[in-house]
Amino acid sequence: MLYYLIVCRSLTYAQRTAAALERAGITARVIRSPKSISGEGCSHSVKISQRNLPDALRVLQRVGLTPKRVYITAGDGSYQEVAL
Amino acid sequence: MIYLDSAATTLQKPEAVSAATAWAVSHLASPGRGGHWPAMAAAEKVFACREAAARLFHVDGPEKVVFTFNATHGLNIAIKTLARPGSRVVISGYEHNAVTRPLHALGVDLRVARGRLFDREAVLEDFRRELDRGADLAVCTHVSNVFGFILPVAEIAALCRTRRVPLIIDASQSAGCLPLNFEGLGAAFVAMPGHKGLYGPQGTGLLLCGRDPATLLEGGTGSESMRQTMPDFLPDRLEAGTHNVAGIAGLLEGLRFVEHQGVEHIGAQESQLARYIGEGLRSLPGLEVFLSPGTQAGVLSFRVKDRDCEEIGEALGSKDVALRAGLHCAPLAHESGGTLNTGTLRASVSAFSTRREADQFLRIMKNVIGSG
Repeated sequence: MLYYLIVCRSLTYAQRTAAALERAGITARVIRSPKSISGEGCSHSVKISQRNLPDALRVLQRVGLTPKRVYITAGDGSYQEVAL
Repeated sequence: MIYLDSAATTLQKPEAVSAATAWAVSHLASPGRGGHWPAMAAAEKVFACREAAARLFHVDGPEKVVFTFNATHGLNIAIKTLARPGSRVVISGYEHNAVTRPLHALGVDLRVARGRLFDREAVLEDFRRELDRGADLAVCTHVSNVFGFILPVAEIAALCRTRRVPLIIDASQSAGCLPLNFEGLGAAFVAMPGHKGLYGPQGTGLLLCGRDPATLLEGGTGSESMRQTMPDFLPDRLEAGTHNVAGIAGLLEGLRFVEHQGVEHIGAQESQLARYIGEGLRSLPGLEVFLSPGTQAGVLSFRVKDRDCEEIGEALGSKDVALRAGLHCAPLAHESGGTLNTGTLRASVSAFSTRREADQFLRIMKNVIGSG
């Protein structure tokens, strides 16, 4: 199943992001970022399903939580950055 | 026991506090340090506590709520962010050593806006005068830990805003019993303990951050681990090392209790009880009671003519009355109140203190001074 990862600069931002999405009815889960996309080391991401990305971006823009980076899973288990 | 030392630590807590703390000890791991359930559940608990505090103190983002070990820890971060050797720092005459010792250690140019005890206008006027002389920083306690004097922090914050002087507020005695609107005040930092009026366990505290802080500790944060500098974002910048998750879980329940009871309700109840105790003490012979209804929270100082306050404190302790005697780590406040040479006895109440306990205390106090 394809899904998006919204990479956040801190756990707290990831939690704020997930909370804002959940409040808007979008299922979101905080996970530790895969090493390959974690940037400067450990970070946290918010996982959302593929169909929810447009709505999620609108919600996050509205609440002032602009995502740093967004990745989509590729079929081979790797991640590709999504141009926002 | 009649516990009247809530200005040091509230001993009676909501039942949920100890239950949550005990549960956390054996179920919650390190937030941000793993993707497994105990770590993620800990992260949720910590975030819930940040959100509850942000709601209670009107902070516009939970990341601005930083966990500290106590108010002293938070005050040290705030002061060492904003003051340098030689900085001109205006403080009230009612500050605790948690404020004055870090300032002394830095070697600042300290100016005291003393003001007469319980005279809010005089304090405000002294702050205005000292700020107009030029200041780099102001620090003010919201409520004196010795006298319960409620200082005019909203008005002092307004003076600081118009003069662009950063303000640090010590909310050690006001958090949970007086309304505090962080964004409205525009303070640089507000520090508070978790274990007093917020009814959390000891070893917890909060620092509300309106400025980019300097770090007091460096270490692991579970974020940006490749870098050897601390993250430049909150709360990670100030939260090196493993959190006191059990304490935070308890603090969350304390915050929920305060939110449910209502800050104004708790504050009014405590002030009324302190006034009742103060009036009862005044009816006893040889007592000087520092009472000022209207400008006083649930903290009350008094002294007994020609009697040592520590000896009275000991005598009360032997009769199962817990209150505090001496200087209460605030010699400056005693200097301002004219009690530096004698110290005082201090009775301080919480949301759990009762009129019945007050009556018992007054009866015991009458016996203690009668037997002197």
